[in-house]
Amino acid sequence: MTDPEPLVRIEGLTKHFGETVALDDLTLDIARGEFVTFLGPSGCGKSTTLRILGGFERPTRGRVILDGADVTNQPPEKRQVNMVFQDYALFPHMTVAQNVSFGLELKGMGKAEIKRRSDEILSFLELESYGSRYPIQLSGGQRQRVALARALAPDPALLLLDEPLGALDAKLRGQVQQELKSIQRRTHKTFFFVTHDQEEALTMSDRIVVLNHGRVEQDGTPEELYFRPASRFVAEFIGETNLLSGRVRGKEDDKIVMDWHGQTLRGLAPQGSPDQGEPITASVRLEKLQFHSERPEMPNAVRGRVVGKTFLGSRMAMEIAVDDVEDAMLRAYVDAETGARVGSDPVWIGWDVDSMAMLTD
Amino acid sequence: MNDRPELFRGNRIFLACIYWAFVLYVFVPLILMVLMGFKDSRFIGFPIRSWTLEWYTGVFADTEVLSTFGYSIAIAVLSTLISILVGTWIAVLLEGRKFAGRGLTFGLTLLPALVPGIISAIAFRIYARWLGIEPGMGAIVWAHAVHNVPFVVLVVMARLSTLPKSQIEAARDLGADPLITFLRITLPYLVPAILGASIFCLLLSFDDFVRSFFLGGYEPTLPVMIFAMLRSGMSPEINAIATVALVLTAAIGLWAERFTRRMNKER
Repeated sequence: MTDPEPLVRIEGLTKHFGETVALDDLTLDIARGEFVTFLGPSGCGKSTTLRILGGFERPTRGRVILDGADVTNQPPEKRQVNMVFQDYALFPHMTVAQNVSFGLELKGMGKAEIKRRSDEILSFLELESYGSRYPIQLSGGQRQRVALARALAPDPALLLLDEPLGALDAKLRGQVQQELKSIQRRTHKTFFFVTHDQEEALTMSDRIVVLNHGRVEQDGTPEELYFRPASRFVAEFIGETNLLSGRVRGKEDDKIVMDWHGQTLRGLAPQGSPDQGEPITASVRLEKLQFHSERPEMPNAVRGRVVGKTFLGSRMAMEIAVDDVEDAMLRAYVDAETGARVGSDPVWIGWDVDSMAMLTD
Repeated sequence: MNDRPELFRGNRIFLACIYWAFVLYVFVPLILMVLMGFKDSRFIGFPIRSWTLEWYTGVFADTEVLSTFGYSIAIAVLSTLISILVGTWIAVLLEGRKFAGRGLTFGLTLLPALVPGIISAIAFRIYARWLGIEPGMGAIVWAHAVHNVPFVVLVVMARLSTLPKSQIEAARDLGADPLITFLRITLPYLVPAILGASIFCLLLSFDDFVRSFFLGGYEPTLPVMIFAMLRSGMSPEINAIATVALVLTAAIGLWAERFTRRMNKER
């Protein structure tokens, strides 16, 4: 964000579809070489942003500056931007090599140059032996790579990726995530990735922008979003979490003291300090809860009883009914051995101040 | 549980009977016609005592019959080319677009296929005379082309509606302007539909009697010639000509059906 000349500058982008507001005054910069992911549920405005960047939609208001030039009203064919489509959109009547060369031909390159560049990109993506095949003869993963090769071939300043992993099966998806990240690192290209899959976003991105109802909920690194969600929406959307609703009791330095059904809990203060007595929600990640047999020396500790266990392989999900608090359930991940040891005796659950993020809404 | 398969089997036998009755109904006249073309007698009817190829050799030696064949094919090809051009153009204009009066435009486009042949033939005749167009090849080609356009529009539109929007966007994204996108992406995608529609138009035109009769000059098309021959009575030559036409059109039709189906599957 401090880059004096970002690759993309989005200014006050607003898009209405009839009565619906798809994007509401979006402003942000994208730095060169960044892997930025727009994450959110369907209809949050992430795809609209992508389509505006690609030139397929015009914003109702606002501007898009690419490399210092206003491209808001430029048609897609004039932009130094290429896209990997959700359905890959490979041309079925062309071979893999022809698909990849398509963009190069239209750039007015010579035949030899096209051949050289297309061979280069095909071998870069380990597709060299598939050049003469047709898309129908390829597997899903191969098609996805061809789509990527085709979009990278014209050497775009910005690469747009529209949920390109959605059509792959779970196993392949994990592999392709690593691959994409490594391709982005090796090419030093700026990737603008759109997805509704939080896991995908966390694994690949340098930066995640969480959108909801056309507005930015939070903009930060995967770690920031995961451990310090700014809002209840982000906390719930990314990963699994315990949400504890209570009232503000007071402040200690940068901490908030809250009352949760008579228990006193301490967590990191959110931006904008809530006043005493105001309702507040805290988020604690499942893997941050620790089990103790005695009351631990921790700022947050509650006593309860394990009422449910689910074996998940490397770990176990525990459900804890907190003593003296009706309807208050905590969920926690522990390693399988610890999980097996815990019986029906009362247990103490403790967690640190850092592990608890206070949320404004 | 026991009754139902029995009932089902009964139904199947019944349906099979209806099917074979239908096949007989369609094919018996055709088979009769073909058989009579090989009968060594001018008298049409059974029994057939001896066989001959005389009628066929006669037909193929007759330059008038051959030139009529050629004339009909020329009309079919020309009118098909025009219908394909106009029909594809209309389909591209109409498909996926919303504008005031789209329904009306679409309805008007389909109208020529719905107007009874005799009525449109008379209307064309009057119109041609009013415009000062002489009856003959030009007038027939024109009438056939107008009649066939709706079929092209329907077939091409159906194909166009299955073209993923992302294909067009991908081409634009890679630097193609709308014209290049149409020529390099949309048109190749439409090829199976255009081929199918072409075959259909060729057969429709080749087969047409009413329009060719009303708009023709001195030179008859094949159906018009057969009609003229019929006036002097049924003859084995007619059977021979009709058999050749039947085999030709059936072969083209079947080939086209297979071909378009295979292309559709591939793409």
